[in-house]
Amino acid sequence: MPRPEQKMVTFTLDGREVSAIENSMLVDGAKCVDVEIPVFCYDAKLGQPVGACRMCLVEVEGINKLQTACSTPIREGMVVNTESDRVKESQRAVVEFLLINHPLDCPVCDKGGECPLQDITFGWGGGTSRFIEPKRHFQKPLALSPLIAIDRERCILCYRCVRFSQEVSEDYQLILSERGAHSFVSTFDGHPYVAPFSANIVELCPVGALTSQAYRFRARPWDVEGSGSICTLCPAQCNVTLTVRDERVLRVLGRDHDEVDDGWLCDKGRFAYQAMHVGERITEPLLRDGGELRPVSWERALQSAISGLTKAAGRTGAVVGGETTNEEAFLLQRLMREGLDSPDLDSRPGGALALDLHRALADPALSATVVDIEFAHAVLVLDCEPVDDAPILDLRIRKGVRRKGVKLAVASSRPSSLDANATLSLRFAPGAGEALVAALDAALSGTGDVDGLAASAGADVDQVRELAALLSEAGEDVVVLWGERLAHGPRGDHAVRGLLNVASRLKLASADGAGLLEIPSGANGRGLRESGLLSNAGPGLGEPGREGRDTPAIGAALAAGDLTAVYLMHCDPVRDFQDRGLWNRALSKATTVVAHAGYLTEGLIEHATVIFPAEAYAEKEGTFTHPDGRIQRLRPAISHARGVRPEWQVLATICKAAGLEMTFHTVPMVFRALVDAVPFYADLTLDEIGGRGMRWQQTAAAANLPTASDRAPYQLTAPPAALTPNGSLRLGTYRSIWAGSEVAVSPALKFLIPHQQVELSPDDAKRIGVGHGDRVEVTYDGAAVNAQVTLRAAVPTGTVFLAEATDSQPANLLTNGEPRLVEVRPA
Amino acid sequence: MTPWNPGEDVIAVQRGPEPGGAGGAYRSFGETLRGLKTTFARVIEGTNTIQYPEEKVPVYPRFRGRHKLHRFEDTGLEKCVGCSLCAAACPSDCIRVVASENDPENRVSAGERYAAVYEINLSRCIFCGYCEIACPFDAITMGHDYEMSDYNRSDLIFTKEMLLAEPIDRTPLRNEGE
Ligand code: SF4
Ligand code: SF4
Ligand code: SF4
Ligand code: SF4
Ligand code: FES
Repeated sequence: MPRPEQKMVTFTLDGREVSAIENSMLVDGAKCVDVEIPVFCYDAKLGQPVGACRMCLVEVEGINKLQTACSTPIREGMVVNTESDRVKESQRAVVEFLLINHPLDCPVCDKGGECPLQDITFGWGGGTSRFIEPKRHFQKPLALSPLIAIDRERCILCYRCVRFSQEVSEDYQLILSERGAHSFVSTFDGHPYVAPFSANIVELCPVGALTSQAYRFRARPWDVEGSGSICTLCPAQCNVTLTVRDERVLRVLGRDHDEVDDGWLCDKGRFAYQAMHVGERITEPLLRDGGELRPVSWERALQSAISGLTKAAGRTGAVVGGETTNEEAFLLQRLMREGLDSPDLDSRPGGALALDLHRALADPALSATVVDIEFAHAVLVLDCEPVDDAPILDLRIRKGVRRKGVKLAVASSRPSSLDANATLSLRFAPGAGEALVAALDAALSGTGDVDGLAASAGADVDQVRELAALLSEAGEDVVVLWGERLAHGPRGDHAVRGLLNVASRLKLASADGAGLLEIPSGANGRGLRESGLLSNAGPGLGEPGREGRDTPAIGAALAAGDLTAVYLMHCDPVRDFQDRGLWNRALSKATTVVAHAGYLTEGLIEHATVIFPAEAYAEKEGTFTHPDGRIQRLRPAISHARGVRPEWQVLATICKAAGLEMTFHTVPMVFRALVDAVPFYADLTLDEIGGRGMRWQQTAAAANLPTASDRAPYQLTAPPAALTPNGSLRLGTYRSIWAGSEVAVSPALKFLIPHQQVELSPDDAKRIGVGHGDRVEVTYDGAAVNAQVTLRAAVPTGTVFLAEATDSQPANLLTNGEPRLVEVRPA
Repeated sequence: MTPWNPGEDVIAVQRGPEPGGAGGAYRSFGETLRGLKTTFARVIEGTNTIQYPEEKVPVYPRFRGRHKLHRFEDTGLEKCVGCSLCAAACPSDCIRVVASENDPENRVSAGERYAAVYEINLSRCIFCGYCEIACPFDAITMGHDYEMSDYNRSDLIFTKEMLLAEPIDRTPLRNEGE
């Protein structure tokens, strides 16, 4: 959908000529000339205004009654007065009215000092109250959820929180109970308001009615400093402001960026800052000594890492997780390729993808931005679950569907939380993404065996045809949001070729607002690839010199003894990767396992030889690349915890020891070197990236992207058919938004730690003879996972889902990256 | 180059008349005598040296000395709720308040929150009394004690316990009319 054209009109505000966007609201128009109209219930982020609080009344010539500026669109020639006596009188009256039931809590209220009600009362209120009658009383404070405290006496009934829950996050949990002066905010039956985005209402509430349990009473605004950075817990890379007091991060607030996060944060991003200041964090180097990891001096740890790595030299592998910055990635790939002369490094857990395909996917013409999701004619969510994989994109899709009429199609194995918003949801067998895109390609091109391919995908052929029709008929702007897992496994290349075929059939490259947007499996997945952390590509997706082993091959080579050392940067393969058995063997065989980690996870406890403490993201400096190509800066907000050193310096020290010339003194110097090495980053400077980031596709240097030699449409080979359940069940896995060390160690989030549960369809449950909440054993070839049954009507019959990376009984006890059939029996 | 001519810009300083004979003599001695008059007038009053520290200067009731934190007399709870308003008002930024949530079983203050840490760095305090004015609960007031010197700068950071403790009243108060 083309963005609506914005027409400028002129209207008169307090006797001044103002030009503003036609049909934007008066409050926003007034801001153009620095006239502030007080508001409580209006927030542009919430969509359509409701006009609930009446704080924004202004006089519009020609209309007898005062009008709400938050819901009066600007028209050409309008004459508006915000300063007349009538307006002032009404503002005083509204403030007095709102304060009738508002307690005098300011000194104990957490909002004090940053409270719109305080500010507006001071700025527009009458100064005194005539009200001497008793105020309404509620029990306070109550826990609305383990994360949010509610004080109903302070609520001014502005509806913001309710609208957020109903119209933005669409969890439909918050409502206003009762009527009139008795109204209060609650969930409909009083259950705790737990949702992935719940705590946004704390930031939205214009009074201290909703406060964060974790931040409660920690500080006043004048005690703290705000420090802008980005959240690195998932690929969405939301822009945040970290509230810092005494070198501790006390709170995370959104830093509105409508091209990244639209001003929202998920609860993980908002509360997992606590993980920086807990005892579980590793804050000194650890060395395995007599079978035990013991804290040692930096010198000793570096020494043993260096001697282990240089001894193994060419027989070293490196596996990198998503929290690594571009600069660290650049140094690490130099260490591996030049220092140790080993080409075996990778940042994609699922195996290599042909370099040509990387280049084809990175094509600027084919890449969609986050904003494109909102304005597309149709969005296809393919083999990913936005709320788990990049939470904030979930809100963006909902916004597009609700407010802009985007047609949504979901094609995934596991039922998606977006199904309810989708015009079409299609299920396919876990791991059969390749067959699905092949079927879709066939349906779009009108050639090929759609029936056969849909059957191979375990999908309904009519639905595949409908999907093809929906995508081709919706309009030219189609965005395909796809998860990296589609390209995992040995046939990843084929799946991506299918995807590129679909893109070329839909002509995504020729429309401005159309394209592909990949959700990588690591937060900085895209940046790592572009910085050269691929087994088959150097910096800037260039030729690597010598092609190396990809992640699964590194594991296999370690297990076979062909590699003897491994560098694990921010990842624990045993916990995070599909093939747990292989990695357990691989790491126990390796003589040197050097890791950078913030927390001890099972694989590291078991196998690491040297662990360097990882920096928390608030301590770190560097750049990240957003899935849509936006380079964003990570700025340090606090100094390093005692004992923690900047990781890039650790890498540089090791590089130096391995004989490389290192002339870097600061992170920006490394960035400079990175930019010189990545041709399509050539136009970027840290100044221009600034606080808002910059998409490299929008710079002239984007033309330097190496072009793919082969172009879509490709000739596809027949995909393998999905396994037929035949009495057993297909196993699918997913990684919950709450999986991960940061959540596990943050006190506020502990109640959300995912425990293993198996999602079963009611039919299968009945057949097996288990019910909701029962304990079952999921087995494959002797291995077993003990889990609790969750019945989900939307799970297709014949399929079960297990969670990855849970604290115990993780799904990868059963998986190795290939489709599996499992048995479920009562435990 | 001709020197710059200030022209009308010059303001001639008006001085008093040039001292002549009588005028000059007055200027030399008259003012001195006037001063000496005050001196001699005090001489007959006798010595007025206060033997500090054995003897102390009494202070006015509104004298602003070292702070006190107060408790409610009936319940014994602290009046301070840790709102940090005093810290906001303080021009020398010497108050540090870290608040915390009250445990209803074991209250420290009357409200929802209390000051877990309350420190005044008296080596920086300028005794302006703004903190006293800012406090919505009269929890902090300026006392009369001015004897606060110490051997160690960090000992001048007064903690909540020190501020809550009844100060040893070392300073006599000036009586009315004194
Ligand atoms: S709790 Fe806050 S956001 Fe919600 S209605 Fe009340 S004042 Fe508005
Ligand atoms: S959506 Fe992702 S980037 Fe945004 S706050 Fe949550 S974890 Fe952080
Ligand atoms: S008297 Fe003035 S300077 Fe001293 S603590 Fe109070 S506000 Fe600060
Ligand atoms: S002394 Fe008064 S102003 Fe200061 S924190 Fe306590 S209650 Fe607030
Ligand atoms: S802001 Fe306009 S009615 Fe509330």
